[in-house]
Parts: sequence; structure tokens; C-alpha cells
Amino acid sequence: MRHANVVILTDETEFARLLTACWQAERQAPLVTVLTSDLWQEQEAPARDLIVVGPLREGKLTKVLRSLDPSTAVILCTPADSKEFSQLRTKYPRLVHVPLREDWAQTLLLVAGESLRRVEAVRLARQAERATAKNENHATLGRYMLEMKHSVNNALTSMLGNAELLLLEPGQLSSQSLAQIKTIHSMALRINEVMQRFSSLASEMQEAENASQAETEETSSSISPRR
Amino acid sequence: MHLFSVEKYGETTAVLKKVLIVDDSPAEIKLMQSLLEKEGYWPVGLNDPKLVEEAIAHERPSVILLDIVMPDRNGYQVCRDLKGNSEFNSIPVIMVTSKSSVSDRFWGEQQGADGYVTKPFTRDELLRAVRRFA
Repeated sequence: MRHANVVILTDETEFARLLTACWQAERQAPLVTVLTSDLWQEQEAPARDLIVVGPLREGKLTKVLRSLDPSTAVILCTPADSKEFSQLRTKYPRLVHVPLREDWAQTLLLVAGESLRRVEAVRLARQAERATAKNENHATLGRYMLEMKHSVNNALTSMLGNAELLLLEPGQLSSQSLAQIKTIHSMALRINEVMQRFSSLASEMQEAENASQAETEETSSSISPRR
Repeated sequence: MHLFSVEKYGETTAVLKKVLIVDDSPAEIKLMQSLLEKEGYWPVGLNDPKLVEEAIAHERPSVILLDIVMPDRNGYQVCRDLKGNSEFNSIPVIMVTSKSSVSDRFWGEQQGADGYVTKPFTRDELLRAVRRFA
């Protein structure tokens, strides 16, 4: 898994210090950036997978949350009785809240770990979707080439056959024409070789796909529950 | 029925072996005709596969060169019908096609084809297949 980027946004130095220290003790520590609410307003938001919003100065929380992209994963770590929080809950249903109680750090690390795993899973899923779309484009191209094979072979038949007919009576041609026809003939043979290699590749891929499908079916039938 | 027949042989036609070429492409019929003529065959072309039986009854060919991918009636259907017809089933059928996979060839054999030549073919490949039967 790549290193995740976490932004700790708080006006309370002790909160940031403690959380950073806890994270550094973890086996897989994310890259942590600590910002105060004033700095958050001033600078462009850094790249991040998760934002942990800790205690902020009065009235700052709403402003900070309003500036966030709705798709950003946010963990809010504020006192459970915060008035501002209860108002925000209805507006941001995906907001995860960790009450600022005695064991908040451990709870936050657990929740943050899950949140980062989810972010990574979404990233991988998007990557897979992009790869699938790319593969589909290649498959369309391959299918088109396979469909065109018939037409290419027919055209090659005429090219090769007519060149051979002309070469049967070389005496009727000038040496230049003869050389040109020989070139056409040998190039047509080369295209034919390319098409044959393409056909062989298509057959091999089909066989591999059939084998893979058979294996998948066999596996799924062996793990299906017995009645 | 339009047959791409060669009239120039006149009285000598009786000694030439007729080859019926069934293909929807006039260019390919012409090519095969040219190749076969040079080897002393009497090629007759037909570009409408629906009229094969009629052409055979009229021309009595020694061998049939049959394309597979054709509109209205494909070569597999034609071959199956001919091999199921006691009047025509003794005439050798050579499939001449761009369908080159093992399964295509197998399916051709299942329909009763006596030979199989894949396009693009060389002159030698075509003649070798025809000489087996005529």
C-alpha cells in the first residue's frame, strides 16, 4: 500500500502532538501535515486522503467544513456536546465523529486506519475501472481486426493470384515491371504471414480464455455449498 | 442464370475437365478461372450460390470450388445439400475460403467437403487441390 496523506487540522497543539506521536508508533505511519485553522484558510489545501479535524477556535469549524470537498474523508474529533457539531451532522451525513473522551486517540487511530483502507480500496477500484475501460478499447480493436480478417484475406487472394498470373509469363513484361510485380507478390506474402500470426495469437488467447473459464467454473462448483 | 463460362473452347471442350467455381466475388472467380485455364481446365464461374444445383445439372463439372462466406446461402449449406443429394454427391467439393481456423476446416469436413484451401492461396496450392480430383 502506498503512503497515505493525512492532514491534522487543529488549533490545539497538544492534540496534534499526541496524535502525531501515536501515528509514528504505528507500523504503517501515514505522511502527516499539521495545520491550524488560520493556515488552512490561507493556503491551498495539500494533497490528502484523510483530514482529521481536531479542536478549533470557536466558530471556525463550520467555515473549515464548508471549504472541504464533499468527497474528502473527514474525521471530526470534538467534544460530544459541541453545539456546532450537532448542527453539522445533518448537513454532512458522511462525517465521522470521534468524541473527545479519555480514549479518543486509540479510537481515532482505529477509525482513521479503516478510513484510509477505504480510500485505498476506492483508489484501487478506480484504477481497475480505468484499466478495464482501456482493455475494452483494445478488445474492440481486436474484434474489429478479426472481423476484417476475412476481407483482408480476400483482397490478398486477388493480389497474390494476379501477381502470380503475371509472373507466369515473364517474357511479356519489362524488367522493371517484372521487379515491381515481384515486390507486390512478396509484400502480399508478408501481409499474409502477419495475418496468420494474428490469427494464431487470437486462437491462443481464445484457448487460454476457455481454459481460464473452465478453471473458474470448476473452482466455483467445488466451493458451492452442499445441499 | 449467369455463368462465367468460357466459350472459346468450341469443339475441344469434351476433353477438358470442368471446374465449377462458386464464389460471390467476380474478381476471385476471374482469378481462379485464369489460373485453371492456364493448366488446361475448363472453369465455369457462378456467383449466385442459390443456383448451384441448376449449374451442376447444366455443366456437369468434375470438381466444384466452393466459397463459404456468401450471401443468402453459405458454402456449408451448399456442401451439405450437395452431399445429401444422390444425384450430385459423387462430385468432389473443395472449399476455397478465407475462414482459416481449425474449427472452420473441421466444420467443412463435417459437411462432406473433400478438400479445403484457405485464402489467400498460391497458384500451387489451388492446383494441387484440384489435381487430386480432376
